[in-house]
This record gives sequence, C-alpha cells and structure tokens, in this order.
Amino acid sequence: MKKNSLKVTAVLGLIMVGLVLGGCGESRSQFAGTYKSVEPFAGKDYVALDLQEDGKGTWVLAGKTVEFTWMVNDGKIFIYTKPGAILVVTPTEGGNMLSADMTGDWHPGCPPGSCVAFKRVKDGG
Amino acid sequence: MEATEKPTGAAVTEGLKLCQLGQEVSVPAGARIVNQGEDPEFFYVIQSGRVRVFRETVDRIQTNLTELNAGAYFGEVALVTGQPRSASVEALEDATLIKVSKEEFDRLLDQNPQLARHIIQQLASWLVAGDQRLETEVVHQVKLRQLSWFDYVLMLGLSLVLSLVVNIYNDNRIPLIHGWGDKNLIPEIALNQAEEMYQKKQAIFVDARKSAFFSQQHIKDATNLPVILFDLMYPMFQFMVEQEGKDKTLVVYGGTFSRRMDIDLARMLKHKGVKNVVVLKDYAAWPKVFPLQEKKAGAPGSLPLGFAGFLEWLPLSIFLFMLIPRIRRSPYLSVFCRVLLAAIFISFALSKIMRPAVFALNVVDYNLTPAWGVNLWSLALPWGELVVGLFLLLGIRTRAAATLIAAMNVIFIVGLVNAILHNMPINCGCVGEVGEPVNWWKVMKNTGMLIMCIQIFLYDRFMVLDRGGFILRDRKI
Repeated sequence: MKKNSLKVTAVLGLIMVGLVLGGCGESRSQFAGTYKSVEPFAGKDYVALDLQEDGKGTWVLAGKTVEFTWMVNDGKIFIYTKPGAILVVTPTEGGNMLSADMTGDWHPGCPPGSCVAFKRVKDGG
Repeated sequence: MEATEKPTGAAVTEGLKLCQLGQEVSVPAGARIVNQGEDPEFFYVIQSGRVRVFRETVDRIQTNLTELNAGAYFGEVALVTGQPRSASVEALEDATLIKVSKEEFDRLLDQNPQLARHIIQQLASWLVAGDQRLETEVVHQVKLRQLSWFDYVLMLGLSLVLSLVVNIYNDNRIPLIHGWGDKNLIPEIALNQAEEMYQKKQAIFVDARKSAFFSQQHIKDATNLPVILFDLMYPMFQFMVEQEGKDKTLVVYGGTFSRRMDIDLARMLKHKGVKNVVVLKDYAAWPKVFPLQEKKAGAPGSLPLGFAGFLEWLPLSIFLFMLIPRIRRSPYLSVFCRVLLAAIFISFALSKIMRPAVFALNVVDYNLTPAWGVNLWSLALPWGELVVGLFLLLGIRTRAAATLIAAMNVIFIVGLVNAILHNMPINCGCVGEVGEPVNWWKVMKNTGMLIMCIQIFLYDRFMVLDRGGFILRDRKI
C-alpha cells in the first residue's frame, strides 16, 4: 500500500514537472541582439528592436520606446506587450532576419501589409 | 457475533449445575481463547475475569464487538450453527472459565429449555440489531458518495483565492474589473451625427478591434488601430492623423458589448493628448448605417499546439468506449478520463495563468461577457481549471470536480458554437498564446470531454478519496 502510494506520487510528480518545464520555452541566446527594420515602418520611420537575453526587450519607433517581454517557442519569437498583445516573429537566415506579424492575431506567417522585416545589426542583448 | 453480556445470562447459567459439566480452565490476561474461523469444539462460561470479543480482517483491522464479565457465556453460536467461529475471544485479565464440549453442550440444551430459549432470543435480537446496523451503514456510505456544497466551495474558493493572490504578485497583473474607478471622460456621438460628419469628411473613423475583425468588415476608409497594439503602432497613427488633418474629430468604434476595445482606445488617445476624440454611441449599429468594406473571413492563423494538441484529440476516443457496455461502466475508464482531463486542463491552465491580459482579450473576442466580468473570468477560470484538474488527477472529490469540468465544457461549447455561427475570425484562446482554430472539431473535442465528465460522475470508484475516506477499488457494503 505504502509502496503503491510512493509510486503514484512519483508518477504525478514527474507529470507536474513535465508540464511545468514544457511551459518554460527555449533558450533565447540565439536571437538576443539589436535589430533594425529593413524599410521604414509604414514608409515613415525605422523601428529599432532590442531583444535582451533576460527576456526583456524594447521597440523604438519615432523616438517612442515600448518595453515588452519575449520568449522563444517552437523556433518562433513571441513578443508580449503590457496590454496583452502578442507578436509572432519568425526568424530566418539563422536569426539574422526577423519578420514580425503586426496583425496581433498570432498568425504564423506574415500577411502582406502587416509584416515588418528586421535585420540584425548587433549580436547579444 | 458469538457472545454478549446478557443481564439474564448470569441467572441462566447460575441455574445450571456447571460443576457437573465440562472442566475449569484458567486463562492468563492477553491469551486468545477462541480464534475466528476455527471449527467450534467448546462452549464457555466465565467464572471470573473479563474477556473481549472481536472480529479481525486479513489486514489485521480489529473491530471490538463486546466485553464479557463473570456469569456470561460465549461460543454457543458456532456450536448451534455448525459454522466456523465468527469472532475471536481474548482474555482482558486473568480469567477462570468452564469449558463445555459440544456433546455436553447439546445435552445441556436438551435438558434445559430455559437456556435454549435464552440462546434463541439472543440470536434473534442480534439478527435484528445487525439488520439495523447494516441499514445505518448503507445510508452512511451512500451519503458519502453524494455531492456536498462543501466540495464546490472548497474548489471554487481555492481557485478564487489563488487567482487573486497570484494576481497581486504577477508582473502582468490586471485589475479585477477593467476600467473600475476610471472617469469616463470620453464623449459619445450619436449615429446620425457621426454619419453626417462622415459624409462631410469632417472625421477620421478609427476601428479599435483586432485586425482580423477589421479585415472582415469595417466602415469604408476607416483606419485600424488595434487597442492591443496601441503602444507599438501609435507613432504611425500620429503620422497618419497629421497627414489627414489634425483638426478632424477622431470617431472611435468597436464591436463588442463589453466596449473593451473602443472605449479603451479612446481613453488611450486622450491620455496621449489627443483632444477631439469621441466614441460611437451604439457599438453594434454602425454596419447598418455606414458604407462598408468587407472581405470574406478566412480561417485565422494558428500555431501547432504540440503535446497539448495531441492530448486534445484523445477525448474523441470516448465516443468509441461508450459503444461497449462493459467498458463504458468501467472504473478503469474513469481513471483514464480523470488523468486525461486533468492533463488537458492543467496544461491549458498553466499556459494562461501568468498572462491574464492575453486571455482577457480572448474572452472579449467571444462577445459573451459583460465589461465587469471579463477580467474576473480571465483571472479565475485558469485557476479553476488548474485546481479542479489537480483534484481529478489526485482522485479527491472527483464527482464534484467532474461536474465543475462539465460546467466549464458546456460554457466553452456555447462560446464556440456562437463564434462559428456568427463567423467570428477568432482563435480559441484555450491554450495561452497559441492560436487554435475555432471549428466544429473543437466543439467535438469539448463534447468528448463533457461525456468523460459524465462517465467519471457515474462510475468513478477506483483510487478515490471521497467524503468517506480513501477507496482503492470499491466500497463494498
């Protein structure tokens, strides 16, 4: 009886650890760095994107800075803003190029007209 | 039961000439006189001392039946019935007994109708008392399996308390009631006035909804500034306003009865120093009044759910299990359902708990929750999923937990069907930030989970901790 209880507890513990670890995301180091939009956003101004290794980041446009947090999941970068928006960013060329989906609707791709491409200008965060 | 203390037993045995029968034996304290399950050979009368009568299970759990003193007798039941001993007897203190053999006992009964009648009376009274005790126990056991308000208060209370406490310490905390205490300084504009301004091109119409809703249908020439992307997109919006004309009025409109998008956006614009901002009064009437630009809504983009996505398909298996009567009533199927539902609800809850703002916007998308309820629901639901999921997994109060999960599934199914019928371009929002499509498959999966809850409610009795304690396989009555 006691042995069975221990086994059940161990299995439940492993399940919980698995679930918790499964929600932690992947390493950010590969994508940490400073990026600049390839073209001016909406034809007006460039966006500077800074992804720090500790999961914090900034989006700078027209002198206005917006702070956010980010994580990597399934090879994609997820940017979380304070009001609850999520931008799904798809890295290409080994992380040197990023394409950010500006629909905020968690599209895996980047619909034309709502896509901002970034190029890495500096490694690290 | 073999014996009890009988007020008249002493009188009965006193009348017998026991010295002419059997043999006197001395028994030290703690010695076992009769063993349960043995074949009976003797009838005993206590001359002095005290004995304990008890039953013992194979797990060595003892149930005390009675204690007997001098003058009482025991061992007669097995001799009368010819069955093995139904209880054990142990001396509590040094005792002296008269040990009467079966043959002598039979002769004694033949010669003493008073003793025979007394034994029959005793056996009959035990039978009646046993029936009453059995009935009391059955009623008790049935009540233990019944639902209790305490179970619901425990689970819902725990979820609510945890959600409120964690929200206080969460970096991504949200207010309990969105906009509570904010003075609504945004003036509203009537539809006819707004229409007049639209025709005279005196206003810029700003759609505050998510881009998928905007793409599906919006006022012709309106600009989309999704409230959730306000911080990121406001500089661009400023450029646009400067180009269009700074003096024009900004008419903000939305589409949800929680007014979460339009009023929020107007407040944010006001906060940025924009003075001429108004909100369209009737949030749902603009499609009937203004010229529209429409596009057939495609399925919203979605990301693979990974392991959670695999888990989510498994509830469909319940439709197959339900076809096989032996399996559908099996407590082992209940355990399968419990573990599966728990894994789904716990993993889904963990993906939402730390970012309630994201989930709140999903709740807004369904357009079924009033403004005051959006944040409360968004905070409490994931904790409810987690707590109830853990109760299911650990087998604690599983019937109550199953009804709560079933209630959640009914709400989810209503929301999903409503979204499908109204062709809403939304993601399910069930798993954190992963966008799952809203479709009939999703409804089927939730229906499968609902049936699993019913199966647990009806047949779960394996490794369960209910109000009566822990049940390993079943509580036999």
